[in-house]
Amino acid sequence: MDRFKLTLSGRALWATAMVALLFIFLFGGLVKLQLVNHAELAKRSENNRLRVVPIIPRRGIVYDRDGRVIIDNRPSYTVSIVPAEMVSDRTVPHLAGLIELDSAQILKRMLRNQVSRQQPAPVKKDVPFDAIAVLEEQSLAFPGVSYQMERVRMYVDSLGAEAFTGYVGEVSPEDLSESDGERQGYQPGSMIGKKGLEKQYDQLLRGREGTEYVEIAASGQILGPYTEREALEAIPGSDITLSIDIDVQEAAVHALDSFCCGAVVAMDPRTGEVLAATSYPGFDANIFSSVIPESLWTEIRTDSTHPLLNRVLNGLYPPGSTTKLITVGAALEEGLINEHTTLKPCYGGMQFGNRFFRCWEHSGHGTLNCIHALEQSCDVFMYQIGLSLGIDLLHDYFAKCGFGRPTGIDLPGESDGLNPDTKYYDERYGKNKWTRALVLNNAIGQGEILSTPLQLAQFYCGIANDGLVYRPHLVKKISRPNGEEINVPPVVSFRLPFSKQTLDILYEGIRLVVEGERGTARAQRRKDYTVGGKTGTAQNPHGENHAWFCGVAPLEHPEIVVCAIVENSGDGSKYAAPVVGKVIKAYMDKRTARADMANLTPVDTSHAEL
Amino acid sequence: MLNYRDLDWKLIGAALALSLIGVILIMSAQHYAESDYARAYYQRQLIWLAVALVVFAIVIHLPLRLFDLGAYLFYGIAVAMLILVLIIGSTRMGANRWFAFGPVSLAPSDIAKIALVFALARFFAYTKWPPTSKRRLTVSAIMTVIPIALILKQPDLGTSLVFFVILFVLWFWSGLSPWYLLLILSPLASLVAASYWWSWALYFVVLLTFLGIIRPGIFFSVMVVVANLAFGIVTPIVWGRLAEYQRLRILTFLNPELDPRGAGYQIIQSKIAIGSGGLWGKGFLNGSQSRLEFLPERHTDFIFSVLGEEFGLWGALIVLGLFAYILIRSIRIAMRCRSRFASHIVMGAVAIIVFQMLVNIGMTLGFMPVTGLPLPFVSYGGTGLVLVWTLIALIVSADYHWQEY
Repeated sequence: MDRFKLTLSGRALWATAMVALLFIFLFGGLVKLQLVNHAELAKRSENNRLRVVPIIPRRGIVYDRDGRVIIDNRPSYTVSIVPAEMVSDRTVPHLAGLIELDSAQILKRMLRNQVSRQQPAPVKKDVPFDAIAVLEEQSLAFPGVSYQMERVRMYVDSLGAEAFTGYVGEVSPEDLSESDGERQGYQPGSMIGKKGLEKQYDQLLRGREGTEYVEIAASGQILGPYTEREALEAIPGSDITLSIDIDVQEAAVHALDSFCCGAVVAMDPRTGEVLAATSYPGFDANIFSSVIPESLWTEIRTDSTHPLLNRVLNGLYPPGSTTKLITVGAALEEGLINEHTTLKPCYGGMQFGNRFFRCWEHSGHGTLNCIHALEQSCDVFMYQIGLSLGIDLLHDYFAKCGFGRPTGIDLPGESDGLNPDTKYYDERYGKNKWTRALVLNNAIGQGEILSTPLQLAQFYCGIANDGLVYRPHLVKKISRPNGEEINVPPVVSFRLPFSKQTLDILYEGIRLVVEGERGTARAQRRKDYTVGGKTGTAQNPHGENHAWFCGVAPLEHPEIVVCAIVENSGDGSKYAAPVVGKVIKAYMDKRTARADMANLTPVDTSHAEL
Repeated sequence: MLNYRDLDWKLIGAALALSLIGVILIMSAQHYAESDYARAYYQRQLIWLAVALVVFAIVIHLPLRLFDLGAYLFYGIAVAMLILVLIIGSTRMGANRWFAFGPVSLAPSDIAKIALVFALARFFAYTKWPPTSKRRLTVSAIMTVIPIALILKQPDLGTSLVFFVILFVLWFWSGLSPWYLLLILSPLASLVAASYWWSWALYFVVLLTFLGIIRPGIFFSVMVVVANLAFGIVTPIVWGRLAEYQRLRILTFLNPELDPRGAGYQIIQSKIAIGSGGLWGKGFLNGSQSRLEFLPERHTDFIFSVLGEEFGLWGALIVLGLFAYILIRSIRIAMRCRSRFASHIVMGAVAIIVFQMLVNIGMTLGFMPVTGLPLPFVSYGGTGLVLVWTLIALIVSADYHWQEY
């Protein structure tokens, strides 16, 4: 039994060995932490006490061409509770009376947003200023309550401008992963432009976020600046001046508001500047600056009139008779006709194969040349030249007039539209499974052809500007925070595929549409200035036809092109032409008023005070 | 009268160095505290150190014979105090551990540690029963379990473990073979092995082979096998019946990092503090983990983390070296003592110091559970300091009188 008994010195050796082993063990632990893992743990120690406080710069303000504000910033107040400083029988009940939440809701939100007991936990965003004033004056009644101010976007309402302004929102994980969001200075929680100009010019508008480093204690209390890292100053965003004219924009919105849905684009054909753009119905972009109630969001999303659809850029409609200019122009260019050529007379339609293709005028137009065919929008004339041109030639002319591809406007997410050719039909219907009769539809802007209001406006700008098409754009001037101003010059986009002669014929056509004896838009004739244009009535299998009108004024030296669509209304002449008429009137009235002012002002007052 | 020149001044010096390092670290740990009371911790520790040195001076002047004769009486008094503290002790953090005398509080468990060392030392010094006899093992075990049971009622698991360690070390020192100690501890291994039936079966094969080689006698062998079976069978059943939160509590005790916001928070912050100190440390009063209060309990349980953060690896090695010096020198003293009683006293003291140090530093490094055992000499705490200086006094005294029987 005592075989294993140790002598005293043996035991002392054992004990010493055990102690030595323990020390090696502890030494190993120290080496692992202090040498092997030192770098990582030192970093964690720094991160413990370092808080990065972003400094959000002022986002750029957006003005109209006359310097009137379209997008501004406003203060928004978030009310928070510091849990450690809260007095249970005062703080929450008093707050409940002030911010339209009951005590239970306040407590729930506080607990949900609590980071530490010493840090403010937000309970309500976008609290009205009146309530903040009460908090400020009677702070003793609200122990532990604090508020933080941030700037949010404010969109001037009544402008119906969300089609181009877009809106901002909190940066999403996709935004961060896309296009190196992190490197471009976005952090989780940053605001980013989600649509429209806010998205397109986000980098300019947002400026550069600054960063401040502060040292914090374990309790979350801020102790002061963290001196080992230099703070990064914030740079305010650039202001942007648009080509938009608020007066024209408002006229466009008012002109549409008696209808269900539609869109208006007004442009200056001499530069491609967009003077007005509205999609009706729209939504109030300001809702994205606050907390959107779930019910409101559902209502907007499920609205059958699709307020979220940007009809200016993404509304796809058959252009109808508005593109008869292309059909005629192509025929003139190809030498199929000249301005005197008359084709087979219109008896209210035309037989092709075993189908009778109607003209919109069931009583017929009789014998016409191409100018009068445009004036009266005769379908039968177009059918005949369409057949001669064929699908692919017509397709080429449409393409050269800017259809089937984005215009390149400085807004994100523009649609292509659709400009079908043989290949398209082969893919869609199968080879030899479709007839040439489809060209009859294309010749009158029906069938598969789809255009956005912007594409059509761009085309008419070309017609109004001797065939030279400027790229549509909204931004006229960028004002950097350092005072530097950058004027954005107009950019030539392309030239219409028509000779001067052809253009003159087409121009005469659109003049007669308004000025002619039998023009389809005779009602838009004005005393003070001349208007030209073209009506269109796009057949809509789902209901009433979509009404189109594209107008140009003044005809002598065109300054404005307005293109309007009124969905599900009926004839272009009856519904869309008056809309365009009102917008052109707003523009021309303002122009006249300006001219009058200019004649009055040359009184020299420079010596008056001396 | 003592001849002071023959006292072991190196040992005393090492202990004093550790105590002063402790004062410096306590000062740093609470230097930026908001309350005046916390900032003055180091001053109170200095006063306590003075008290401890007075106690030390008294104890080295007392004859060891006195402790020998009074050992059982002292043990009895300590047990009575443990009972009393359960009845009238002041409650702090849910445990009855202290007698409060105005601003001073006294933990009777600290006194009981010394008392148990005395009682066991006396028992092992004079018993005629051989080291492996039933009676010897049983009586010494009962002497140990009584204070343990009372301390577990407080409840204080960490401190009660110290008593077990004292018993095991003194068993070993009084001649029980380490193989026997292994067998006595084997049920704990059974507990782990019983996680799977096949590992448990394999474990039993090893255990029985082991018993066959050592042949500790029928009674001992049967006890070992029964204990192993019982632990292996009962524990999984009890485990299965525990509620989820109870299991979680046990698991987080064993591995605090499972609970990064609760118990694990302290461990994680301590590891960050020590690791960020690196080789040279951040400098005195300059540890951000400690200054900004990321380190919890930094003047008591986690004082070693302050050391590691502010003085780095070299600082930690100095403290470890001082401990190693004290312990290894004490073992030599224990070996040299002619008095069996004195020899056991010294080893009991070694057991207390080494175990508390291991558990405390191990905890700050992240591989020991959070038990609340302070670091001897260094952590803030009056009774702890007096206790450990009493132990040093006993060791120095045993060394001085080494030739006496």
